[in-house]
Amino acid sequence: MVNENLVKDVVKEPYKYGFVTDIETEKIAKGLNEDIVRLISQKKDEPKYLLDFRLKAFKKWQKMDEPDWAGLGYKQIDYQDIIYYSAPKQKEKISSLDEVDPKLLETFDKLGIPLTEQKKLTNVAVDAVFDSVSIATTFREELAEHGVIFCSISEAVKNHSDLIERYLGTVVPASDNYFAALNSAVFSDGSFVYIPKGVICPMDLSSYFRINSGDSGQFERTLIIAEESSSVSYLEGCTAPMFDTNTLHAAVVELIALDDASIKYSTVQNWYSGNEQGVGGIFNFVTKRGKCLGKRSKISWSQVETGSAITWKYPSCLLLGEESVGEFYSVALTNNLQQADTGTKMIHIGPKTKSTIVSKGISAGNSTNSYRGLVKMGTKATGSRNYSQCDSMLIGDQASANTFPYIKSQQPNSEIEHEASTCRISEEQLFYLQSRGIEFEEAISMMVSGFCRDVFNQLPMEFAAEADKLLALKLEGSVG
Amino acid sequence: MEIIEKIKTNKLVENQTEIQKICLHKLKSSPLPNPKSELWRLSNKSKFSNFLDYSVNEKDLKFDTPYPKNSQSTIRLIIGENCQIKLIKENYSIQQLSEDELDKYIKEQISCFDQNENWSDLLNLSLSCKKNILGLKINGSKIPPIEIFSNASSNSLNAKTLVILLEKNCDIELLQVNLGKEKSSLSQSTFFCLKENSSVNHGVVSYGENGSNLLNSLNVIQQKNSEYNLGSLHFKFNYARFEINIKQSEGNAKTNIKGMQITKKDEQISTYTKIDFNGPNGFLDQINKSLADDKSHAIFEGSIIVPKIAQKTDASQLSRNLLLSDLAQIDTKPQLEIIADDVKCKHGATISQLNEEELFYMRTRGITLAEASKLQLCSYFQEIISFIPVSKDRWDLLDKLLNEN
Repeated sequence: MVNENLVKDVVKEPYKYGFVTDIETEKIAKGLNEDIVRLISQKKDEPKYLLDFRLKAFKKWQKMDEPDWAGLGYKQIDYQDIIYYSAPKQKEKISSLDEVDPKLLETFDKLGIPLTEQKKLTNVAVDAVFDSVSIATTFREELAEHGVIFCSISEAVKNHSDLIERYLGTVVPASDNYFAALNSAVFSDGSFVYIPKGVICPMDLSSYFRINSGDSGQFERTLIIAEESSSVSYLEGCTAPMFDTNTLHAAVVELIALDDASIKYSTVQNWYSGNEQGVGGIFNFVTKRGKCLGKRSKISWSQVETGSAITWKYPSCLLLGEESVGEFYSVALTNNLQQADTGTKMIHIGPKTKSTIVSKGISAGNSTNSYRGLVKMGTKATGSRNYSQCDSMLIGDQASANTFPYIKSQQPNSEIEHEASTCRISEEQLFYLQSRGIEFEEAISMMVSGFCRDVFNQLPMEFAAEADKLLALKLEGSVG
Repeated sequence: MEIIEKIKTNKLVENQTEIQKICLHKLKSSPLPNPKSELWRLSNKSKFSNFLDYSVNEKDLKFDTPYPKNSQSTIRLIIGENCQIKLIKENYSIQQLSEDELDKYIKEQISCFDQNENWSDLLNLSLSCKKNILGLKINGSKIPPIEIFSNASSNSLNAKTLVILLEKNCDIELLQVNLGKEKSSLSQSTFFCLKENSSVNHGVVSYGENGSNLLNSLNVIQQKNSEYNLGSLHFKFNYARFEINIKQSEGNAKTNIKGMQITKKDEQISTYTKIDFNGPNGFLDQINKSLADDKSHAIFEGSIIVPKIAQKTDASQLSRNLLLSDLAQIDTKPQLEIIADDVKCKHGATISQLNEEELFYMRTRGITLAEASKLQLCSYFQEIISFIPVSKDRWDLLDKLLNEN
């Protein structure tokens, strides 16, 4: 019989990033109303079109109901008990990293993301977001030489207003869903990436999101535009301190790929997931969507989801351009009382579009881990193909693994294949490995690693070392 | 919707039995199924409303069967027409359940109903009058095959209910035929209880005519070491729903399901299955096939529920779909909900058209396109049809389907 306690120990890695940075912050009053929305916009000195965008979204949000179809059990969120804007106090304009509060730099240093000139990661440009604002972006000049714009969205609003006005909200409209509407009304910062025509981004780009304040939510917005024949690889990471209260994170990510462009978006999500009794943790409600507008464009989502008390996240691809490609590779690990409802939507609209879905769910403790995905072939998606594979691994008999694939086809000349399976760490395999002198823990690591290999192979190699330091995934702890 | 108005005012049927009263009362609080629930979300609202437009018919209408004549080796029963049966032979017995037994059993079932999941059963039981409920207790072995018919006459809504209790160590072959006449609605609910070591080869063939509608619900409870094999075929209905609800009450049971639905014109046919493993060592092998042509819509939703108690469950579910027209639609959603960790569960789904390479192969060997397609369809259908009991020799289902397509 497998020693279940040992298995549980292997997947149980203490949360390393639960510390709080003691820094003076500027916060606005709790609560959400039209004045708060105006105040956020005013603080960021935004143009009128953006204020109108926020107010319109806020009005829509007020009329919407919080979705309950995912069957996630969490205590009702009091939207009036959240601070919608919190920023570390610092000088208005920062011309160089030397002017960033050393405490902030130290925080990111501790998280394994050194931002200073001497220590910064080579070949990876990082945009560091602390609570509601972006505090620093590295390698900007080097990127600018290639015409690549990589900055916080607030700066983009000031310096590249035409692009923001043209693309913001075109992939995830404000009325898309409850949390997207909320984000559209109160988003505070996020990253903006623009890759000009024909440019292969010379280095990987990365955003690092850190929630520091216990009573404020984080509502960042990311917009990536890849012009014709361009290519970019982007990684986002997230951590938060350990608080007994639940913090709301409602982000929106929009990707746009034009003809022959390719965007690879990788996420390593390690928000604080609450303690063993399910107290505290981040409520993570994220809307991520990519639009393959151009012919032969490609958007690839890869994600490793290990944190958050609640995860509600369906990175999607709208495949409009002929021969465009959508990919989704996901590993979701839940432990203790975590609940994850995650998956993807592949909407095939254009002809000869292709999509691949590989999802691996690992549930341990008393957690619930669901895959929920939609594959839709529209009437014009002739010659399109989809392949989906969803595997679940159960550790212990208290965890639950669910699979809910929605498959819809209106195009006879297209093919959809879906398969799903559930397994556990088998005693025979363990016995086999142990009989060959491999330690129990290592054997488990090998098997979990093998189970997730299809997805880990998709994570950018450049980040492999960083990801390890960056987030010390609970899963990676067991993978070794 | 005439029926709904009547449910609200509770004047649906005269001389209501206690069961009808209970069900009508339950329906009164939610006279229509919740359109937001997954079970009803994709249901075509106007077609469903059309189902409820006809008035309830309790009169005796002679059933002119287009099916093969009764053979001596089978037992044929027509619900609502000739339900009197008492066969006690040397090695088996088939007896009608007494009114009390039937009442007791149905009330037990109603007490476990979920308002949303069992909406079709609630409607059925509030409409089914005494003579349209057939309850059988079957015992023994080497029982001749049984054929049971339900039908709906034109311009009316008929409700038929079948209850079968299978005693220990008993095995039967049963074919249920649901026939919808032109412009009719048929509500059919079947309740099956398989006691220990019993086994059933169950066939359900539902065949409609122009503008016919069907709500077909099948509830099966399997005790340990029982085996339930279901082969089903639904076609030619303007609107049809087939809801299968199987519970392996103590585990250690075996379920095999092979179902098929064929839609043409602007028909909508859907199959919903829920398999609940309530004990260890359960087994399920399910395949559901759909074929959608013209402007039709075929739906399959299957859920497999494996709670903590159901260790060592081995379940597989496959949904295979053929989409033959630009205007047709297929929705499929196989689901797994698992808590037990020592289980083998898998599902798969595919949607495509006829395999072009196979067609090409046959055409290079001198077979015409039409013939080659027919051959492909033949093999597609054959897997399911060969699983339907009793039908093999006499029912010509394959011919019927191939000539239709």
